[in-house]
Amino acid sequence: MKSVILGIHLREEDVEPVTKAMRVADLFASTVGVDDDRPLADRDLLLEIAGVRAKLLDRATFVAVRYGLSVRDESELATKCGDRTAKWRELLIAHREEVEMTLKAPPAAPTARPDRRDFESGSAYLRALYAATYAVDVDAKFRARIEETLVPRATQHRWMRDNTSVELAMLVRRSDLDAIRDAGEELRRDFTSVPFLLSGPWPLEVFASDDHQQ
Amino acid sequence: MADQEIELTVLEALDHLLDRGVVIAGEAVISIGDVDLLYLGLNVVLANVDALKRTSRK
Repeated sequence: MKSVILGIHLREEDVEPVTKAMRVADLFASTVGVDDDRPLADRDLLLEIAGVRAKLLDRATFVAVRYGLSVRDESELATKCGDRTAKWRELLIAHREEVEMTLKAPPAAPTARPDRRDFESGSAYLRALYAATYAVDVDAKFRARIEETLVPRATQHRWMRDNTSVELAMLVRRSDLDAIRDAGEELRRDFTSVPFLLSGPWPLEVFASDDHQQ
Repeated sequence: MADQEIELTVLEALDHLLDRGVVIAGEAVISIGDVDLLYLGLNVVLANVDALKRTSRK
């Protein structure tokens, strides 16, 4: 039996009895036991874990671990992530009353992804890829309205883009969730031509990742 | 909640499960090819369901 790790939590009661907790330093990992011969890509397993993840978030905010990590026991977990627990503890304490929300929208004018074969050097290709990605944006009026109505309600926010979509990740107080959903509905009424998806709440995902700068 | 909205919610939850969160020891997702392939497939489905939802509203 292996244990799939879902997230890292501040307190044991944030995990149990929803699912089994595994200690890692002075924090707790939420785990789901999986038979060794069951593939992690099993559809029913994924749906089960998505459900457990949602129940855990109802109890308390946690640092989400990207799906795919499984361990045998506490010592293996400690070996794999023991040196990061101090940072996670800081995040969990700082953002205990917050969750993430995301808004995804298609770009106003999608840019073509550069073709590697058109470049003589890897660095030139990477520069072109970066330029093409960062040229992508949503409709200007739509973005202005988001900056006016949604962003001020977030304690932190981050715009992310690729060639096919623009995404706003927001860290918001749980007490502001209804207001943010209302602002999203208003946005949907006023911008019927812009298809977008406002979703959440989510655990600490974007704002706990290593590439996020505070 | 309409069936399409429920389906979209489930797919969005899977999208976050498979593509978000801290990566530990560089082994999540990339170490298991079937999950990676599943995620690629999920993105296609997610885009299609979103498009279907928009179309049905028009």
